Order: sequence, then C-alpha cells, then structure tokens
Amino acid sequence: MIDKKNNIILEEYENEFLYKKSKTNLNIEFNRIAFIFFVFLMIATIYSIQLLHLGSLKKVTNNIKSPITKKNYRADIIDRNGNYLVKSVDSINVGIHPAKVINKKHLLLMLNHIYKNKNISKIKKKLDEDKFFYLEKNIRPKRYEELMMLGDKSISSEASLIRLYPQDNLFSHIIGQIDNDNNGISGIEKFFDKELKKINVPLELTVDADIQFLIREELLRFQKIFEAKGSAAILMNVNNGEILSMVSLPDFNLNKRETINDVNYINRITKGTYELGSVFKTFTVASGINEGLIEPSTEFLDSKKSISCGKNHKIKEYDDKMPSDLTVEQILIKSGNIGSVRIAKRVGIEKHKSFLKTIGVLDKIDFDISEVGRPQSIDWNEGCKLETIAFGHGITTTILQLAKGYSIITNGGYDIKPTLIKKKLDKKNKRKKVLKNDISKKMNKILRKVVSEGTAKLANVDGYQVGGKTGTAEQVNNSIYSNIKINTLASIFPTDNPKYVLVVMLESTKNNKEYVYEYRDGSGFKLKGSPRNTAGWTSVEAAGKIIDKIGPILATKYIEN
Amino acid sequence: MKKVVFATIFILILATSLVKNSTKEIEDKILMTKENISPLKSELGDVLLEYNYLSSPNKLTQYQTQYFEKDLLKIDVTKIKKLTKKNSYIKVIDFIEKTDDD
Repeated sequence: MIDKKNNIILEEYENEFLYKKSKTNLNIEFNRIAFIFFVFLMIATIYSIQLLHLGSLKKVTNNIKSPITKKNYRADIIDRNGNYLVKSVDSINVGIHPAKVINKKHLLLMLNHIYKNKNISKIKKKLDEDKFFYLEKNIRPKRYEELMMLGDKSISSEASLIRLYPQDNLFSHIIGQIDNDNNGISGIEKFFDKELKKINVPLELTVDADIQFLIREELLRFQKIFEAKGSAAILMNVNNGEILSMVSLPDFNLNKRETINDVNYINRITKGTYELGSVFKTFTVASGINEGLIEPSTEFLDSKKSISCGKNHKIKEYDDKMPSDLTVEQILIKSGNIGSVRIAKRVGIEKHKSFLKTIGVLDKIDFDISEVGRPQSIDWNEGCKLETIAFGHGITTTILQLAKGYSIITNGGYDIKPTLIKKKLDKKNKRKKVLKNDISKKMNKILRKVVSEGTAKLANVDGYQVGGKTGTAEQVNNSIYSNIKINTLASIFPTDNPKYVLVVMLESTKNNKEYVYEYRDGSGFKLKGSPRNTAGWTSVEAAGKIIDKIGPILATKYIEN
Repeated sequence: MKKVVFATIFILILATSLVKNSTKEIEDKILMTKENISPLKSELGDVLLEYNYLSSPNKLTQYQTQYFEKDLLKIDVTKIKKLTKKNSYIKVIDFIEKTDDD
C-alpha cells in the first residue's frame, strides 16, 4: 500500500502556452462599453446644448405686435440726404363684433373710460345693430394697448398700412401712388413694386428735397406769370445721370390719395413727347462736328432767307435780319434755321440719324418709372424730314431725353443713363465713350456764347458759366401747327467743366405786360413787359431765377461731387 | 493609442460644447438686443418723419412768412469766400474763381 502511495506517475505534459495578444472576452466587453458610453456622451452633449437654450431663445417682444406683416410691408423711400419722402407707418384698425360681446354695459363703461371725447351712445346703437363696425381706424399704439388690455373677445384688430408723404406734392410724379392692396400703380411705387416689398432698408433716391422745392417754387411762380398750362424742369448730373430734381406741373398731393385722370397731370419730363424746336440745332451742329465735317469756324455763305423743300414746304428764318454769311458758331448763337438745314444736309440722313440715336433722343428711354413716352417714329425718306429735323421740327422726344442728349454732348462724349436711384459708385465700371474727344470742348464754348451773347442772355447768372440753347416751338394740334408755344431752355453749367444740365420747359405761355425783366449784363437795365412769347423771354428767365436760387447749394453742398 | 484618440475626441466634444454654450449665450444676448432695438428703430423712424415734415422747405418757408417780417436773402455765389490755413496764416480767397469768360 505504502509503495503505491510513493509511486510517482510521470505523464507527458504538453505546454500550450504561447506568448500572444490577449483575446479574452473581458477586453471585448470593455471596448463595447467604451463605445456605448461614447455614443451616450455624444447624445447627452448634443441634447444638453439644445436643452440649455430652448428656454432662452424666446423672443423679447413688445406687448403690441407690429401690424406690418409680410403681406402689407413696403419699404420707405428717402432722398439723397436721408430725408423721408415716403414712410410706411404702423397702423391698426380696431373693430367690434357685437355678437361676441358678453357684457355690453361693462364694455361701454370701459370704452367710455378710454374714449373720453367719443359719443358712447353712437357705439351703443351700433352694438345693438349686431353688425361688425370699426371702432377706430389707424389707431395710435397706446390706445390699441388700452383696448387690448380690456381682454374683450369682441374687440378685434386688423393690420393696415399707411404711406405718409411728408413733402406733400413735391415728389408726386416721381414717387407715384399705391392702391388699397399695397400694389404700386404709378411712379417709383409701380416700377420698384417688388423691390419695395422685399428690401429691409429704405430705397434711396438721387433727388434732393431742398433743390426740388426751390425749382418747384420758381416754376409755379413763372407758370402763373406767363399763364402757362403746365411746366417742367429737370436738373441732372451730366457725368453720372443722377437726377437731383424732376418737377412736372401741375402735380398732386399724394396724401389725398386721389385718382388722377386729367391728362394735364401727365409727367411732362418723362411721358410727354414734344417737338422742341431750336434746342435740336445743338444736335445738328454737334453731329457735324462729331463727323469731322464742320468746325465752329466753318463758314456757310450766301444763305437764303427762305428755302423750299418737299412739295409745298417752305423753311424760313424767324428773323428777317438774319445775316446770309454765318459761321457754324454764329448759326447756333443766332439760332439760324437755314444755316442748320445746310449743316444737316452736309451730314446726311444716315449719319445724322445715327448721331441722334447715339445720344438717345430717337427711341423710348429705359428709365426708373413706368410713365415713359415713346418718341414719334420718323419716316426719314419723307420729303423735307432731314431739313425740318435740323431745326427741331418733325421730331419729338421727351424732356428727359433732351437732358440726356445735352449731357452726352457736353460731358466729353460719354454715354449716361438717367436715373432716380442712388447707387454706390463703381470705379471699375468705366463709362462708355460714344462721341469723339474734342466735341464737348467745342460745343461747350458755343453753348456758353449762346447765353452770354445770344438768345439766352437772361440766364447768364454771374459766377456759374451757364451755357445752353433756347427752343420755341409751336405745338401740333390735330396735325396742324397752332399758336400754342412750347418754350424750352436746355442749359449746362459750368461750361469749362460741365456738372449739371438744367432743362426748363413752359407749355402754352402768354405774354405778361407787367413783369419786369432785370438785365444780367451789369447795366442795371430793366424792361417792363415781355416783348415776345418766346423761350428767350419766358423759360430762360425762369431758368435764370432757378440757377440764382439753387446755384449756391450746388456750388457748396456738392463741391466734392 | 485608441485611448488617446478617444480622449482627444472626448475633449474636443467637451470643448466644442463649452464653446457652443458660450456662443449660444452671446447669440441670445444679440437676439435680445436686436429685439430691443427694433421698437427703438421704429420710434426713431417716427421721430425722423416728424422732423422731416416740420423742417421740410415748405414748412420752413411757411414759418418764415408767419414769424419774420423780412424776406429771405438770396446768396450771391461770387461773394462767398473760402478760408484756407497756411503756416498759421488764414488766407481768404473767392469761392468761385473768376475766369475771363465771366
């Protein structure tokens, strides 16, 4: 037995141990837990971030909700100096649904407390009628708050939009009107309808309220003096086309929200197309110079006093004393018809037509308001067309396009786009040159002489170097020329480096026997009564007085422009 | 290695959440300030409108005729002078330089 106990049994032992990476279940479990923990942590973090801020993201709102909703929102309009021309004002209409009133006595008592000066018996009557009625339209915010504090379910409110025009008539033709559904129906309001409903900042215009006022005042005065049916004036920067003032009379008070159907309320600057007469002679001369066919000193000798063209058309000088030998410069200064015809003939139909097209007086202009007139189409092959167009007859255009044409001729020959919308100046956007280099230099000198020596002397305001050209045209009524005059002055200043173009037009003027003209030649001479019903004695005088008033503002305020 | 990556991600998430938290707080403040500015803006607009109306050229002319006996004077641009300072001297020159043409 003992032997048995001491026996040692030796068995073969296979050592299976290998030194290798642990593959225990414990490690796998740890990774899983870490991963799950990680996912949970991420979710918790994201959740905590959201959770922490859900409460504090609440808007801090006023007790009174703004009635301006997306549907009736409309941006304000300001002038170049930031003055409001149009402002949308928060407005609410408050009404009562009598059917929803729980305690009539209590409601009347409270209304009596709020409306101390209102006839409560009338409200009581309306409450008995059981139909919805407005308690107050365009209510003030404070009163609205008081009414809402009553907590009466019968009181309901609706948002309404009021467009206020602090300048009344001053910009009526530019701004235009809106209808009851917040849609623009004329002017800027119509043309920029979509933008005004979208933009968050006021729409800035190029116009200056002070200058607009001064020009309008003078136009009103001279319209009265010369008993004109209507009048218009535009002041524009010749270099960038920014319109500082655009007045068309008669105008209307936008705050009255009247429907305008009278044709006399037409926008005479943009919509009305007119035969403007001798102001077109500037274009004839400029066309010749641009083509290199004439120079200011080129002579036209032995001109007749009248010529015939076409079948029975006779063209004559307005003044029998017109010399027969004139240089190009003298033709413009003395406003010679025959001389202008001879220049146009030298230029020829195609070149003159192309020139007028280039300066933008022939076709409908692309502008910032909808009320734009289309110049009458011209049959250039019709007998006598070139001849009459040479002195501004048989051709129509708008005052706006006339201003554009004068700008291009005098600004160095650069194309411009008249605009009412103030844009940031883009220096990269180079101006397109459409006329030859020396044209402005030559034309400005001649235009200056027209004012200092010629037919526009009354606009020769000291210190401004005014240049320009007058135009007296007979208005066409039923295809026949009438005695009704369209008197125009297209002026630019200062002529050594033009900055502004000012066009003044008076329609259907009459002589005034009492008006006293003060000559601007330093003689102190005064003349009582207008000798003739021409532009030189009507629109030129008005333009002179306008420059007198706006000149100091333009010279000082816009010195850097 | 994995632990380092995990730790880095964890720290990044923690840091992001902390930064985000503080950003949210600032955003809240901005939102609140904006909301508070909004009625002030509206009030300013109304005051400006009133100012524009009362100081419009039309109104000013009306006040002038109502309260003053004398008419407004027209400024002659040729009489406006320009002051320029040069070496502690003040030079007075014409605002509009006269040319031969004038």
